Amino acid sequence: MAAHSNKVLFGLYNDEEDLKSAVKAAHAAHLDIMDVYTPFPVHGLDPILGLKESRLHYLGFIYGATGALFAFLAMSWIFTRDWPIMFGGKPYWSVPAFIPITFEMTVLFAAWGMTITFYTICGLWPGVKAQTLDDRITDDKFCVAFDVTSASESDVDSIKGFFTQTNAAEVNVKTL
Amino acid sequence: MNLNTQFVFENKTKRLLLGGMALGLVCLSFIFLNDDEYHTRFWTNWLHNSVFFTGIAFMSMFFLSAQITAFAGWNSVVKRVWEAMSQFMWVGIILMGVLVIGVWGHFHHLYHWNTPGITDPTNPAYDKIIAGKASFLNPIWYTVGTVGFLAIWYFWAKNLRKASVDQDSMETEGGYTYHKKQRKWAASFLPLGGFLSTVFLWQSLMSVDPHWYSTMFAWYSMVSMWLGAISLTVILIIYLKSLGYLEYVTFNHLHDVGKFLFGISVFWAYLWFDQFMLIWYANNGEETIYFNHRMTFYPVLFWGNLLLNFVTPFLILMRNDTKRKFGTMFFVACIVFFGHWWDYFYMIKPGARIASHEAKELAEGKQHGAKKHAAVVEEAEEAPTSEEVAATPTTEAVSHEVGHTAGHEAPVTTSKDTATTSEHSAPNAVNNESSVAAEHTATEVHGKGHEVAAAEHAVDEATAFKVGYTIPGLDDIGVMIGFLSLFLFFFFQQLSRASLVPMRDPYLEESLHHDTGALIEGEGGESHH
Repeated sequence: MAAHSNKVLFGLYNDEEDLKSAVKAAHAAHLDIMDVYTPFPVHGLDPILGLKESRLHYLGFIYGATGALFAFLAMSWIFTRDWPIMFGGKPYWSVPAFIPITFEMTVLFAAWGMTITFYTICGLWPGVKAQTLDDRITDDKFCVAFDVTSASESDVDSIKGFFTQTNAAEVNVKTL
Repeated sequence: MNLNTQFVFENKTKRLLLGGMALGLVCLSFIFLNDDEYHTRFWTNWLHNSVFFTGIAFMSMFFLSAQITAFAGWNSVVKRVWEAMSQFMWVGIILMGVLVIGVWGHFHHLYHWNTPGITDPTNPAYDKIIAGKASFLNPIWYTVGTVGFLAIWYFWAKNLRKASVDQDSMETEGGYTYHKKQRKWAASFLPLGGFLSTVFLWQSLMSVDPHWYSTMFAWYSMVSMWLGAISLTVILIIYLKSLGYLEYVTFNHLHDVGKFLFGISVFWAYLWFDQFMLIWYANNGEETIYFNHRMTFYPVLFWGNLLLNFVTPFLILMRNDTKRKFGTMFFVACIVFFGHWWDYFYMIKPGARIASHEAKELAEGKQHGAKKHAAVVEEAEEAPTSEEVAATPTTEAVSHEVGHTAGHEAPVTTSKDTATTSEHSAPNAVNNESSVAAEHTATEVHGKGHEVAAAEHAVDEATAFKVGYTIPGLDDIGVMIGFLSLFLFFFFQQLSRASLVPMRDPYLEESLHHDTGALIEGEGGESHH
């Protein structure tokens, strides 16, 4: 998140199974994980992290329904009221001919709507500076990060101890 | 972990399935005894169920081959189900063989192209369009296209299964000999199944309406079979699990099969609509008649098809979690399975009803004398054909009117309309070509008088509401249960002959730990402990 100068303590793991057991251990030790970064989606990680199902697809449904309605009603209005044109002797209100465009507009609205919503939630806009803790997270390292901006010395020590116990390959601090 | 589980085909199940077959036989006999003189209902039922269940076996093989070729790993624990299903093609050869014998011996009139003398211009039965297609629509091609191709497919299915079963008794773990063998059979089956199935479907199903053609038909009916196969797979997996088998199949595997059920249902709807819209837009009389007839006289079949096979699975399976629940999936699979049986019913029944009606008309000698008929045909080449008329977009009213004339009663009255046209245009034969517009009017005006009489006649005999044609009757469903029992009997027998888990499959480990990664509220925890 694009908050001002957060001090982040993070450990890097070499394997996704190490990562999974580390996250489980963190939960057991009641450590508050800021986020986990992986180079690819790790199956089964979400429930361990206690993440809830995304609600993005509800919006996707609403966007899609809007697109479908918009396309269908717009075509109906255009071809019956605004500018009636007869194609090949077909009735003005030719529902079968509207279906492909209605379908396309459903997909277009759902796709654009969900993309824009997702980017907005994540604060991803053109020109945003990438805030990566470590470049290798996008390649072959698995990262567990803790926000230690306002953490006490002993809290930081216990997190470091946790990293040692769970076989983190590296432990670093970075200010974002 | 004991992977080597053997399915036991219990006597209780055997008796139940034999009872199902007996029910089917009773219903089939009942239909046979209360039938028209061509036993159209009996033969359509036979064709319908034979193609449907053989198609399910074929698509199981095709689906499995596609997965093997695509390096799919999730499916190892379900593989044996498809392998066993595909072996039913052996029975399919016999079922289709009965129809082939019927074609050669003229025991049924499912296919109007099989009428004797249909290609002979001097014969009253002569049909110019069918004569033009006779190089493909003939008994030899029919035999090759159905039984012949099934035999080829069965050979592949048998060998693929053999390679898979032999793998179980392989001495060393981790060898790829049999896996490579399976890949060869699977990859070579894809073009073989893909291309030949189109011919199979043209011959067995589309030629029920020999005047009609659709380039989308083979796609459409093949996908219908596919969904039949997928939904039956879901039903069988859940049934086998309820018996305590297939313990390694989790809701993660079910989720993947569910995605196929959902996705292919949408694909089916796409093809269904595509076939309809292309024909609707092109307004080619020869093609639109097919839909016009079905939408006018078979609305329950037509719209029910869309409701069962698209609306229901689309709305229910749209959400992630419904694809992971055994109860919901079982419910949807049952609907989709019945829906695609219904789809085949819709494809076959109206067309076969017209075919038998045409045969009856011919037998009653509605057309007088071969000589006059030959003259009519010659004349018809000059006169505007129904397609040309229908394709002329003068005004909406005209195209509708003509569509009506050329549409509804065409199978019955084509010859009469043509006769009318030729009688009246004969004196002006010279002007015929120059006065196409006038000819349109003539066709319409003279068409009308006949139309009224013909329409009443046609409604009586070929289109009136009749259980077994307009909607499936209970006896038709009984026949379906009979064929389903036969299918399942064969399936369980095949399934009991090998381990339920392909123990030496290189992808087995992946399959055993398969996880779709979907996060479902309240379910996450239990799947990972």
